[in-house]
Amino acid sequence: MSGMPLFIVLCSGEHEKIQMAGMIASVAAVSDRPVQVFVSMNAIFAFRRDSKGDYRGGEFSKLLLEKKAPDAVELFQQGKMLGDLKVYPCSMAMDITGWAEKELVDDLFDPPAGLTKFLSDAEGGQLVMI
Amino acid sequence: MTTQTISHDTAKRKTVDARGAYCPGPLMELIAAIKLVDIGDEIEVLSSDKGSANDIPEWVAKVKHELVGVEELGDHWSIVVRKMK
Repeated sequence: MSGMPLFIVLCSGEHEKIQMAGMIASVAAVSDRPVQVFVSMNAIFAFRRDSKGDYRGGEFSKLLLEKKAPDAVELFQQGKMLGDLKVYPCSMAMDITGWAEKELVDDLFDPPAGLTKFLSDAEGGQLVMI
Repeated sequence: MTTQTISHDTAKRKTVDARGAYCPGPLMELIAAIKLVDIGDEIEVLSSDKGSANDIPEWVAKVKHELVGVEELGDHWSIVVRKMK
């Protein structure tokens, strides 16, 4: 039986927060919870194809990279592959950056979605802001 | 309701060596492996990450597989899980 759906609004560009969001999304998705992630603001930069692995962060970010912790973007990709996870780029963020969908990393994103749709879906579950 | 009989005589065990990987790496490797084996088969995960040694049994209980055992082997843990569904 599926657990309560989880909705994550990811807007921080900090490596540590993107890592945490990837951990939460992937582990929840493989633990029988449907998960939807809405990626906007500075977070979208971490998901650009050309900047993959190039994170901005603080002290813990250095440790994550030094210890070769799982890559944050790859955590989302694993969650998508192994569980019920949908990841939407914010349509506003795509408009502001002027990026096409092909500029985002492969094997992760669903088509861009608006905040209204995401919030409407999120009424049926638990919403987390990161 | 359907019931499924699991024959342990024919069950196989596959080992996933996730030593050196940090949370949730070992769990993800277990899940990727468990999708590829038959019901009743066992996956042994080797993990040097203490958090995963504690967390994998929680996942197993949550999604209703069976924890066969957890053993500390010096610098790593062996966690054996039987696929139940």
